Amino acid sequence: MSDVAMSESELAELHRELRVVARDLLRRNAAKAGPDQTYPTVDWSLLVDTGWLGLEIPEEFDGAGATFAEVAVVLHELGRAAASTPYLGTAVLGVGALGLLEAGAARDELLRAVAAGEQRPALALPTGDSDGDVTAFRLAAAPVSEGDQPGAGRMVVSGSADFVPDAAGADRILLLAADESGTPVVVAVRPTDPGVTVSDRPVLDETRHLGTVVVEGTEVDPGAVWRFRGTDPAASAASARRLLDRAALAVACDSLGLAEAMLEATVEYAGTRRQFGRPIGSFQAVKHACADMHVKITVGRELLAAAVRALAAAEDPAGPHDQEISVAVSRAKSYLGAAAVDIAGAAMQLHGGIGYTWEGGVHVYLKRALLGRSLFGAPAAHRARLAARFTAL
Amino acid sequence: MTIPTGSGGSTGSGGSTASGASVAGPVDLAEFRAEVQRWCRENVPSDWRRAQTGASAEEFAAFQQDWFQQLRAAGYAVPHWPAEWGGGMPVAQQVVLYQELAAHDAPRLVLGFVSIHHAASTLLVAGTDEQRRRHLPAILDGEIWVQGFSEPEAGSDLASLRTVARRDGDTFVVDGQKLWASGAAHADWCLLLARTDPDAPKRKGISYFLMDMRSPGVDVRPVRNAIGDSHFCEIFLNGVVIPAENLVGPVNAGWQVAQATLAAERGMTMLELAERLGNAGFRWLVDTCRTPGPGGGRPVDDPRVADRLAELETEITGLRALCRGLVERHEADTAGPADASVVKLFYSELLQRTMDFAVEVAGLPAHAELRKPASSGWESGAWVLDFIGSWEWTIPGGTSEIQRTIIGERGLGLPREPAASA
Repeated sequence: MSDVAMSESELAELHRELRVVARDLLRRNAAKAGPDQTYPTVDWSLLVDTGWLGLEIPEEFDGAGATFAEVAVVLHELGRAAASTPYLGTAVLGVGALGLLEAGAARDELLRAVAAGEQRPALALPTGDSDGDVTAFRLAAAPVSEGDQPGAGRMVVSGSADFVPDAAGADRILLLAADESGTPVVVAVRPTDPGVTVSDRPVLDETRHLGTVVVEGTEVDPGAVWRFRGTDPAASAASARRLLDRAALAVACDSLGLAEAMLEATVEYAGTRRQFGRPIGSFQAVKHACADMHVKITVGRELLAAAVRALAAAEDPAGPHDQEISVAVSRAKSYLGAAAVDIAGAAMQLHGGIGYTWEGGVHVYLKRALLGRSLFGAPAAHRARLAARFTAL
Repeated sequence: MTIPTGSGGSTGSGGSTASGASVAGPVDLAEFRAEVQRWCRENVPSDWRRAQTGASAEEFAAFQQDWFQQLRAAGYAVPHWPAEWGGGMPVAQQVVLYQELAAHDAPRLVLGFVSIHHAASTLLVAGTDEQRRRHLPAILDGEIWVQGFSEPEAGSDLASLRTVARRDGDTFVVDGQKLWASGAAHADWCLLLARTDPDAPKRKGISYFLMDMRSPGVDVRPVRNAIGDSHFCEIFLNGVVIPAENLVGPVNAGWQVAQATLAAERGMTMLELAERLGNAGFRWLVDTCRTPGPGGGRPVDDPRVADRLAELETEITGLRALCRGLVERHEADTAGPADASVVKLFYSELLQRTMDFAVEVAGLPAHAELRKPASSGWESGAWVLDFIGSWEWTIPGGTSEIQRTIIGERGLGLPREPAASA
């Protein structure tokens, strides 16, 4: 599947089909594990069989050769379903990082293994609001000790990252690290390597699995240090920045999906629930609140579409500049992060008592919206990035 | 990867140059954009804001007529009309045209707004050939129209209007009162709704007329509005005779005609307003935020101000994309029944929030701006007047409350309010 020759309308049609299929598959195959679980868990086999894991993996490595625009469709549907799945850590962040690296036997082999569902990478990068530093790990030459082969070039990596999506259970942890000259690189380690600790980081949003990655002086050989494409250190820094943009945008896709699901659930409930002898949705107080949810979703959808278009076209020589991509992403993430919380909160309010029960399930969406708002940059952090353009000079 | 051409040149905060992402469609939009840019540089009067600040009603009207003819000569006055009447510009080009007029801070067509939009769409959608031949060329020559819909007792509940038109042979005789008729003092003709069957259900007894404002019995009185202007008017109608040939659509079908013609005009007019807010309007806002205050510090260096500015810029970007989307869906005939309401509601409340913020940031000096230039958009940089004037968007044309009801009922399918006893 290649987008190069596709017209805008063909692409829209492709996305529509992908959306319909994804929604249907998620409805049928994502089961709730027990009576107390109020969200669906997606089978790993579904991610493998649908090819969703390898959407962005080039065809030569057994992927679909698609772009982030198609991944965004899947993310949006996973958000609608509030589905629990390592898709974000694996297919969006892991594959996204590998795709920006120079080709090499080890990287290529890992891409093939991910497309086949045999390996699960996770990407350890800063997940909070830090705008300045894009790398959480440091890479340095290993101290030479007796008996070392001169020039073996072994390196040592250290650092830590918290709230890393889908870190626990990953076969390979890709560390976004700065080398001795400060240039961002990716260092591939295994959770079993000496000095590497990967632990669960339970959060209130049970649909997400976050972890803490601590790396203390782990020795790696040069074959595990993967460089971004382009020899220019500035290009590597831009690639690292791109990964953070990608992470933020992925969460924004999820936020839009869950906001839509909450509006639909609320409209359905307000149309059937009767009080004072009439459906509660006929009261202006309820109707107008739903209208406001709809307006926010409509605006957010436009901002998201612009950002997805920009990021998906990043590799196009005629495509948008890095700055344009970052601006579009920050707009989408800040707006949708806040909007999703507002909308899930309004959904809880408009569902009344049932909305506050565990069984009712609105809390699942509210918690996911709240985590999404904080993950990869809170709205205020993204707005600070946007505002820097106005404060300059 | 193909980048939709509609987004070219509008991704920045008011930048008008096409970004590297824009790709020419079948019509070479980049070339057209360059043409409009050149035209604007040569034709937009550099000092029009100063000249229009404190202008008399006559100076305003004369300036508007001149500017309209200048646009007409370039083929930019009525691009949305059918080709046979002097328009015929592809929608993608119209988008570029309005983006560039906004980017170059061209004067806005205020006086002729109803004429080229609502009057024209009424004639094109529901008028007779004779009515079109009589009025469309006249509008191009400067004929001015006013909308005579609202009444003192018929605001949001427009269908309860009481102005009566009685059949008398080949004519109708009209008695009643219209209110909030914008620009009536300058108007040659009026789009008039009047009750022709007092016994029918309220939406089934209304007819739609074209009324000559020079007819005997038409009395126009200005109503001073909250910012001190008098472009709103009351129109008193006493035994006004309208020839039956000036009826639009069948007798008692006026409500349906009004719905159809109002629906036909939205989209491009909202896009123009959104582009103005996103261009000159936002540039002034940024300037205001960067102007040192009495203590010497710039407001924008306060993180709370910077945060609000970024939030508003984000929302304005969303608004502009929303308007382009609406125009495209209108063109493809896929617009939803409440899409225009979403845009109207979001625009008017965003305009209000933005102006409120500007007033707060600008501080006391904003209160000493006693006049705003005529012929400008809703935001002129005279922030206090702009803010107060923003209620002219949240109230007329269906209040924000009415829009929310439309969105809830027609857009989301929520149950209607139980009918009040008729």
